[in-house]
Amino acid sequence: MLVRYLLAALAAGIFAGVVMTPIHYLKLVPLIEHAETYEQGGHGIEPTHDHQAGLVSSAFAHGAAHEAAGSLILAHSSAAAGEGEEDSAALFESRALGTLAANLVTGAGFALMLAATALLTGRTITARTGALWGLAGFAAISLAPALGLPPELPAMPAADLGARQAWWILTVGLTAIGLYCLVLRREAAVRAVGILLLVVPHLFAAPHPADLSSPIPPTLAAEFAVASLATGAAFWVLLGLSLGTAMDRFVGAKA
Amino acid sequence: MTTNTHSIAGTASGTRIAAGLFALVLGAFFVWGAGFAHSAALHDTAHDVRHAFGFPCH
Repeated sequence: MLVRYLLAALAAGIFAGVVMTPIHYLKLVPLIEHAETYEQGGHGIEPTHDHQAGLVSSAFAHGAAHEAAGSLILAHSSAAAGEGEEDSAALFESRALGTLAANLVTGAGFALMLAATALLTGRTITARTGALWGLAGFAAISLAPALGLPPELPAMPAADLGARQAWWILTVGLTAIGLYCLVLRREAAVRAVGILLLVVPHLFAAPHPADLSSPIPPTLAAEFAVASLATGAAFWVLLGLSLGTAMDRFVGAKA
Repeated sequence: MTTNTHSIAGTASGTRIAAGLFALVLGAFFVWGAGFAHSAALHDTAHDVRHAFGFPCH
């Protein structure tokens, strides 16, 4: 029974991941590729810190990034290592194949976590409630962290990776618990705590670099942030709906 | 919980919690691998997806 439940969640996640890949290619990957031309110092604009953005592989750049905690990091330019060469360390030759694989894994991961949340809170996800579960996931995993760390393009200035990841995970965790207290609980005190948990991460500033100057045109960054949130919302609603449908079809029938 | 209507909720709560925790950890492991791991191979493969989902990257 529980095995069927988990397999249904996996199937729904993989389905959502497959569907999202062409959407990413339609709306997001062109913007990422455009931004990478600035990462290489193209379009006549030099990166502000080209000694860091220069001739290093992305693997080396990450190593340097960890040492230079809190400082401006404009590194990570895989293409800068050679003349327009693609990532050398990637698991797949094709960039699209890598994106597909990563989408499958991400979709399966989030589907399992959403199904686990329903299991742990004693609720069921159905085709009727699926979109709401998906929107809750969107609020916790896309919207809340984006308030502090807007979705960013390659070559945009950013603070230390570890610090940003820690803030992101903390914000997502507190928002998820806060939403649970606010939406799924009835007690007034628990709901008040839920509201508090939703607000608290935003009282502590997300890590930002001291120097915000960027080679990326602001319009491009704004376009990407909105496109990322919009496709994120689409992903989560799709994931919730397919999770609910899968539960109805493969699990609910045994009620 | 009064809203439990499906059979999943009828499963012994210990088993249900254990399966829930297992799914949560497995899902988090997947998301970590695709979105957060510092390995260069994983980063380069999942690069566009990390940016697309707004995971902290670089």
